[in-house]
Amino acid sequence: MVSEPPLPPSISAQLKYLLVHSPHPFRIEQIWSGCKNSRFSDRFTLLVPFCLDYVKWDIIYNAFYPFSAPDIVFSLDDEEFRPLLPVSDREGGAEIQARLMRSSLWDWNSKDPSRLFKLVHEMRDLYVQYQRRRVGEVNDARLKFEISTILSREGIEVCLISGPDKSEEVKFVVPLLDVNLNKLVHACPWKQEQKIYLQVVFPVSKSYSLAPLAPRIKLVSSSQLKDLLSVEDVKLPSWVDGMCMAEYLPSLEDTLIVQVMEAVAFVGARRRFIEALVPKFGRPLEADPIFCRKATILAVTGVFTFLVHFSLSTHFPKQQPTLILQSSQHFNSQGAPIMSPPLNNYPWSPRWDAAEMVERIFDFLVKECTSFKTYCLDAVVQ
Amino acid sequence: MADDSLLVEKITISGATLASILQRFSSSPGDVDGLLFGHFIRLPPPDPNDDDPSSSYSAAVGSTTLAPFAASITGYFCSGAPMTFYDSVGRIDPHSVRRASDQDRLPILLGWFCGRRRTHLRPSMREIAVSNSLFETLTPASAVDPAPPRPCIFLLLSFSSTENLAIHTHEYRGFHLRRKPVGSGVLEPRSLHIVNIGPDFRGQYGSFSPDSALPWMPLRVEDELAQKETLRSLQDKAAGQLLLDSAADGFTMERLAHLIGPGVAEYASELEDLYRNMLLKLEGLARLVEKSSARVLEQENKNLKIRCRLAGLE
Repeated sequence: MVSEPPLPPSISAQLKYLLVHSPHPFRIEQIWSGCKNSRFSDRFTLLVPFCLDYVKWDIIYNAFYPFSAPDIVFSLDDEEFRPLLPVSDREGGAEIQARLMRSSLWDWNSKDPSRLFKLVHEMRDLYVQYQRRRVGEVNDARLKFEISTILSREGIEVCLISGPDKSEEVKFVVPLLDVNLNKLVHACPWKQEQKIYLQVVFPVSKSYSLAPLAPRIKLVSSSQLKDLLSVEDVKLPSWVDGMCMAEYLPSLEDTLIVQVMEAVAFVGARRRFIEALVPKFGRPLEADPIFCRKATILAVTGVFTFLVHFSLSTHFPKQQPTLILQSSQHFNSQGAPIMSPPLNNYPWSPRWDAAEMVERIFDFLVKECTSFKTYCLDAVVQ
Repeated sequence: MADDSLLVEKITISGATLASILQRFSSSPGDVDGLLFGHFIRLPPPDPNDDDPSSSYSAAVGSTTLAPFAASITGYFCSGAPMTFYDSVGRIDPHSVRRASDQDRLPILLGWFCGRRRTHLRPSMREIAVSNSLFETLTPASAVDPAPPRPCIFLLLSFSSTENLAIHTHEYRGFHLRRKPVGSGVLEPRSLHIVNIGPDFRGQYGSFSPDSALPWMPLRVEDELAQKETLRSLQDKAAGQLLLDSAADGFTMERLAHLIGPGVAEYASELEDLYRNMLLKLEGLARLVEKSSARVLEQENKNLKIRCRLAGLE
């Protein structure tokens, strides 16, 4: 496959603005040219984040008319999504006119880099409404009840999942905890606001089924949050028959906020542990200053020097750190330093204070270093 | 609203027209769009079928306006630049399509087409809006009764080629804008039949109605009264000559009269002469088209350079 030419500067500026400034993680899948012998590409597939998944939209510019507004080809399943026409029966001629006049397409200015950002967000908002309307049309009493009780919650997204070879399902994505997680972390490095979502997938009941099936529930977090807290480890309260989301969410949020606060407190515990390394091992060569998940120190015994990598899980101090020793004098045939397997079979109690934890690890390493040296020599001989 | 939209079951296009659209599209540097002309043909009603209640026949039963039609595309207009008759939110500019949508004009405006390279053959956001706007904007204002049908056909073309240009792929899909009782119209795919010469298309030729550009041929009558040159007859003659000049070069009305009536012996030579003059006319037109096309191309290239410079692409 030949590489496609680059996007012209005006389009590329708009695309960069979108990718940098959007609160949603948009992605580009493919860029290609729709012109004959053109030096520039003018169309691309945009992955639009929606309902914890992506929908694919083809954005079509025209490299020969760089001032013209782009057009969008939506995905195959969204043929009913027609944002430039009345989006509901209630929207009359005057309303649609007013909406279109507010649209960034109305007086398109290709020199304004924020135009694509505005257009895509405008269309995404309409798409969210479109999916809500589709879900609202599903004939299922339980779903109708859920929608009437939960849909007023801010930021909620719903979509209808249907396919030729599977039964219809409705997916709800509810943003949880009305707190800004970024503010909980000291010197927070996250650019985008981190969120935890509850994903609930309801099978659409056929009229003949007796009891509605329990939904599939899962916690999902934005990707960078895993440095602080792994949501897969959070134990979800059980879903009782006949329950609805409005009942389920408060108890879930209560347990979740406790865990988040605990996770934030664990950062402090890890920091104290790393600080406690100093009197025994000297200053760490390297340490993760924000989440305190990693630290590396240099150890010397006689003429043998080696590094000790500490990796601390989000459950520290309940879970002891994993140690990996790395020789700075022995290298394998590829020239890479020899490392020990991960070690966590040393004495540990989460009730010890940081100084005692370090003391015990020091004692363990004093014993361990001789066997590590033998291990290194064996590895070199091979 | 439902009564003024035809039930178009299929779209036919002559092979030559489709080839011409494809050629126009593949020779243009970027995307193209334009208007489609032709006519609607009433199809024979389908056989009544009482097994299938969802068939279009039973849905349309009792309503003669919903008898199935076929849209036959016979011509097109393409300006060479995209978005010439609509804006960025897909609203038709009625002034730019006014001449095309003249009601007494034949063939009538059927709809429009859009060709975009290397894209999915699905109507885009703007194309759906343009199709709806074309249907709604061009309200028949003529006194012709019944009012001619509104434009409701959309032809979508896509074109791609392999990197060494060994294989070119042309794809096309026809759509019909069907109005719903409430809300806007939906573009539904329709089968596109290409009319060619062959036994399969005998029906097409059966329904063919010749549309001659030649004036009425006066029958020479040796009559004192008929020979009298009234102002009216002079006017008719001048109009006839104008029409004849558009088809053949330097062939007078008097000679046209030789083609009918007495004097059978002259027919063959006169007819051959007429054809010769028609060919002359065609050659003259072809040269004219060639010259003007070269100038149009030159101007288009200039425009392209200016546009690129304005956009800072150079």
